[in-house]
Amino acid sequence: MRVPPAYFVFAVLLATLWITKPQLMNPNVLGIFVRQVAPLGILVLGQMLVMRVRSIDLSGAGVLLLINYLIASGLLSGVPLPLILLLSLAIGCLIGLFNGYLVAKRRVSAVIATLAVTVILTGFVQFLASGKPPGNMPDLLNDIYKIKWGALPLPVALWIGLTALMAVFLSRFVFGRFVMAVGENPTASHFSGVPVERTVLIAHVLAGLFAAVAALVQSASVAVGSLRLGLEMPIDAVAATILGGVIFGRGDGGVWGPFFGVLCFALLFVVMTSFGVPEPGKQIARGLIILLAAIFYGLNTRNS
Amino acid sequence: MARLGSRFLGRNSRQGNWWAPLILIVVTIALLIATTADFATPQNASNLLAQAMPLIIVAIGQMIVIVLAGMDLSVGSVMSLTTAILALDGAPMVLMPLVFVAAVVIGLINGVAIVKLNVHPIIATLSMQFIVLGIAQLLRPVAGGSVPDIVVTMVTGHVLGVPAPVLWAVVVIGVAWKILHGSRFGLHMFAIGGGVASGQTDAAHNFGLSEQRNIILAYVLSALFAAFAGIFVAGRIGSGDPGVGSQFALDSITAVAIGGTQLSGGVGGLHGTVLGAVLMALLANGMNLANLSAFLQGAIKGGILLIVVALQSRKKMGL
Repeated sequence: MRVPPAYFVFAVLLATLWITKPQLMNPNVLGIFVRQVAPLGILVLGQMLVMRVRSIDLSGAGVLLLINYLIASGLLSGVPLPLILLLSLAIGCLIGLFNGYLVAKRRVSAVIATLAVTVILTGFVQFLASGKPPGNMPDLLNDIYKIKWGALPLPVALWIGLTALMAVFLSRFVFGRFVMAVGENPTASHFSGVPVERTVLIAHVLAGLFAAVAALVQSASVAVGSLRLGLEMPIDAVAATILGGVIFGRGDGGVWGPFFGVLCFALLFVVMTSFGVPEPGKQIARGLIILLAAIFYGLNTRNS
Repeated sequence: MARLGSRFLGRNSRQGNWWAPLILIVVTIALLIATTADFATPQNASNLLAQAMPLIIVAIGQMIVIVLAGMDLSVGSVMSLTTAILALDGAPMVLMPLVFVAAVVIGLINGVAIVKLNVHPIIATLSMQFIVLGIAQLLRPVAGGSVPDIVVTMVTGHVLGVPAPVLWAVVVIGVAWKILHGSRFGLHMFAIGGGVASGQTDAAHNFGLSEQRNIILAYVLSALFAAFAGIFVAGRIGSGDPGVGSQFALDSITAVAIGGTQLSGGVGGLHGTVLGAVLMALLANGMNLANLSAFLQGAIKGGILLIVVALQSRKKMGL
């Protein structure tokens, strides 16, 4: 059982921050940092599930854009907020279902399928937005986002709660066993009677659902709708998941490994900004993390 | 009759189904001639070729890797990096070789990571996409700068009355044909890819092919073709732009898939890929003439990719 890199990296980053910028080390400030990555953390829950069955979901950006626009554009202005939230969750599930159909039934490469879905959603939303630009987010949503219990913001509590829920779900329900089996060896699982296609399909639906929740939290964090928000989130989710020890079929990190992977990301960008690393440095960091983590796992197991 | 049907669908042919894009091209051209005033002029044809060239070049490089049952998602970023390098302050004598060195290095990193370090091709090239994009953005944060005049002339000039893009097409397609269909290397590509496609990954290895070196070379070639496409784009726009390549990763895969090359490897033909790229350029032209919003065009291209890829069959599930 390897320890996922996320724990080491997190400790190193925390130490770096503590030494160089001790003024950032109080709970309130840290709470704000962590709240900023809560949407990523929630997205990671779905990404992790999908990566454990040897697939991937890059459509989170499209889901985010679509839901963000739907809420901010006033297309649904007469509808009460709870119904909008429900509708967003339904949209996430539908997109996940479409992804799952393409990947599980039609056997399309997951990267191509979900990237194409992102392109379609992004193009569609941008087209709608050029005719009717996004406006303000409902105040109620912004207010909910700002709720705090002491130093613990509501979005962070939601993230932690969902993570715990996912951990219990995967360990108590048969679905968790299926996910483990399919990830480990799809062919053997198939011949053992594990419903491989259905497992992958459900994983994608759940990924879509989590993407919707992440989209809602992300939308609640801004005052105005935006078309540029969160385009790198799915890739960051992949990187955080890999850091957390979950990589194609292997779930060594469990659910909390990727959780710390996300925290690493929160700290990493803070450390980078405080050291004056320019914006493109973050792009390079994203790619480098994925590549190095993939090499680390590839070298360790020689299992193609 | 059954033989004819399955031959049409490309199931028994190593060249893949290139009839479909050819027919679609003829239909599209006919439609465009019928509905647009000056479609059938040499000027328009020359414009069309110049617009299609970058995609044709990138798609050819992409095809080499796809025949191997791999994929190169970093080609768009290589194009962006190329324009960024060319827009630096420096002599063309220095910048041009730098472009090729960069491409070879990127291709080597991709290839070595995939072959020696056991990284999945999609993960390796996806991560390189971001690394290379970051480097391009460091060199040129926003579109601007100016590309050496010689590059612009290479792309937009005329030689003996023949427009430069035509010469580019002849050279690039000629070289690609030699590599893919006229050399032992090309044959090995199909052998390796065919092995992977039918589930016996070391089929080619068992026949004595040095597949590691071949695969690495294929990724280097893909990066080189992407660099050429980047040079062409740089000549067209005259400046550097880190965002210029972003659509080309998926577009090149679409063009290759439309051309009948199977993403699972081993099946494909150069003519199919070129036809696929030309078809996409024609569709883009048609959509522009129909005044479709650029955003909708992007969405439609994504839809086309989904349809074309969903029609291909594959045993593996997932990534």
